Amino acid sequence: MSSEAKQILTTDGIPLEVSLKKAERKNKVKAFLLVAPLLLFLVITYIFPIGEMFTRSIDDKMITNMLPKTFKEMENWDGQELPPEEVFSAFYYDYKALVEKQEHGKLGQRLNKEKNGFNSTTKRLFRNIKRKKIDESASFKEQMMKVHKNWGKVEYWQAIKRTAPPYTLAKYLKGMDMYYAADGSIAQVDEDRRIHRILWLRTLEIAFFVTLFCFAMGYPIAHLLATLPMKYSNLLMICVLLPFWTSLLVRTASWMILLQQQGVVNDFFVMIGLVADDNRPEMMYNKVGTYVAMTQILLPFMVLPLYSVMKTISPSLMRAGKSLGGTPFVAFWKVYFPLTIPGIGAGCLLVFILAIGYYITPALVGGASGTLISNQIAYHMKTTLDWSFASAMGLMLLTGVLVVYWIYNKLVGVDNIKLG
Amino acid sequence: MKKLSKLLLALSFALSITSSAFAVTVASWGGAYTESQKLGYGDPTAKALGVEINWVDYSGGLSEIKAQKEAGAITWDIIDLFAFDTINGCDEGLFVKFDFDKDFPAAPDGTPASEDFFTDMPSECAVGNILYSWNYAYDTRKFSGSKAPKTIKDFFNTKKFPGKRAIYTSALTNLEIALAADGVKLGDGGTRVYRKLLEDGGIDRALAKIKKLCTDPNGGCVFWSAGAQPPELLVAGEVVMATGWNGRFFNAEVGEGAPIKQVWDGQGLDYEYFALVKGGPDEANAKKALAMMTNTEMLAGSAKYIAYAPWRKSSLDVITAGEPWYKDGKTEMMPQMPTAPANTKNYFLVDPFFWADYGTEIGEKWEAFKAGL
Repeated sequence: MSSEAKQILTTDGIPLEVSLKKAERKNKVKAFLLVAPLLLFLVITYIFPIGEMFTRSIDDKMITNMLPKTFKEMENWDGQELPPEEVFSAFYYDYKALVEKQEHGKLGQRLNKEKNGFNSTTKRLFRNIKRKKIDESASFKEQMMKVHKNWGKVEYWQAIKRTAPPYTLAKYLKGMDMYYAADGSIAQVDEDRRIHRILWLRTLEIAFFVTLFCFAMGYPIAHLLATLPMKYSNLLMICVLLPFWTSLLVRTASWMILLQQQGVVNDFFVMIGLVADDNRPEMMYNKVGTYVAMTQILLPFMVLPLYSVMKTISPSLMRAGKSLGGTPFVAFWKVYFPLTIPGIGAGCLLVFILAIGYYITPALVGGASGTLISNQIAYHMKTTLDWSFASAMGLMLLTGVLVVYWIYNKLVGVDNIKLG
Repeated sequence: MKKLSKLLLALSFALSITSSAFAVTVASWGGAYTESQKLGYGDPTAKALGVEINWVDYSGGLSEIKAQKEAGAITWDIIDLFAFDTINGCDEGLFVKFDFDKDFPAAPDGTPASEDFFTDMPSECAVGNILYSWNYAYDTRKFSGSKAPKTIKDFFNTKKFPGKRAIYTSALTNLEIALAADGVKLGDGGTRVYRKLLEDGGIDRALAKIKKLCTDPNGGCVFWSAGAQPPELLVAGEVVMATGWNGRFFNAEVGEGAPIKQVWDGQGLDYEYFALVKGGPDEANAKKALAMMTNTEMLAGSAKYIAYAPWRKSSLDVITAGEPWYKDGKTEMMPQMPTAPANTKNYFLVDPFFWADYGTEIGEKWEAFKAGL
């Protein structure tokens, strides 16, 4: 039999297959329209800003367009010694054009991010141009070096040369305490200024330990919540949620009052004779303070997912384990614990991701160790206005989170996460 | 991509505007400070001009206004900010440049505005508001009478004054006082100390001095970041001396009767400014309001509520004539002013150009130093 003969027709003569497809397509469109707002929301609030951050972090076109002549002349300069007169003259005319357009301030700002001190160096030149003190028929090199001694320093010219490419990964290198040297190779910054790597490690360390402490404390709490009779567990639940609803700053400040050297906890220790009055332990303005305050603040994010998973585990499973001859520990380890892994995964990821971006609490209670990478991002967002560097560090942080997520996926499997 | 982002930002800002039409919006730091501005000159100006003046809080920096501008939906008219922010913002083209004597009224005796202010403005976009001080205070329960600290050197002297110190969490003003305590003369308004910092090894010398204080078993450092912390740390007995902002110390000492006392030797005078946003929602009225808020009478008004000095010299005469000026009706404000002659025997003016120029590099060194503690 041929396939045509087999084709089934609907009452109006259209093949059933076509008719079905039509109906299905309609449903698909409907389904898509239903999720479209959410999809749009995700694109607008998530995918799009991240893309924007990425372009911002590598885009350096502004300065390329501001100093066209200079960069052209600099192609013939090896970057080892002070550039020749042609480069000075090209820079002078580029800068003069910017002064006429009132955009010289932007250039000074941009260059100051590359090499500190540029702001006043260019401003001095601006004032001299404005007062018509530069003789355009004489050597610019000598005159500019007279205007500000920095024009006679090769580092400053190297810094300009570094900004020539319209797109650059320099901000990412800077985030790891490295930079492009004059010959294009990658070099380390001076030792007394290498802070970003310290801050990255410190951020990871604090996030890791806070997650660990939250897990160690949250697991028993969640278990208790899930197994106690309703009337106690409700009360306990309120105890977990109450701090959750309290302002972050209030909780941080309370820890400061409790833990400082002349604080409540120390007073109590002295009173019961645990420590001598002149030898009170330091529990605030160091890492201890950061760990305690952050663990308490983030604890609900660990307890809630764990609780929601534990609630669904039937108590008869443990009983069955024990009745089959397992000790309580074996029953727990072999039966109960594996069932809670989805909650552990969700809780740990939540806490870790929140902890890695924390900065107000550590800044207040962490003392000398209170600066984390997010403080640095905020500093460049708000004070130096180096948004491209802030974007680069933000993306590096995001990458770090994604790596953790990926490792988790490899080890446990993402399908296993359960938030409730 | 760029256009879409602008649209999005504009949308989000449009949503955040609630009732700012036909009103001048001033962004300031909030708390007791904004309160003093609102009561001191904000409300009187609004009444006199018949324009509504709204005060919104922000936490400093130029990021918000820059974002508003990029989005093309500016919601602030006037911003209260630090000197180096006025410099950076002026360079970025965010603010209106002033024709100073034309835009601002002269003092009652006819002195033009530009001569009535204590120093030159750091940029063409700035108009002065208050002068405040980075000084230090000590716990009077620990040290008192003839054994009390009196100079900036005493702040670093752990032998004579044992105990922990609270210092600001970033390098700003810490380097200056460290050099001063290390024997560098501050010089005329502190210009000398900045020259010394720029010399080879100057910054390292200052850092070494602070490191010595922080690692000294008789000393030690606590780093504060919020203005409320220094008096708090002193009262709690956590530290014996703390650097901080004089207005906060004044509030604790006079307002709340805390056992602390301020030392003015080696103080850093710093300023706060207003800038007028270019293309703000109501630029014309904002300009009028700004001119009025910074006139002699109005500026003196804020000193009724907080111990920060008005920028105009002529405002000080208003305060002197009206003593006791403080809102409690019995405290004389002039001796509490950072600019009082008794308090300015040895001081430095915090140099915004120095910090705008070298802030980032010094910040990196500072963090590296803190990491090594």
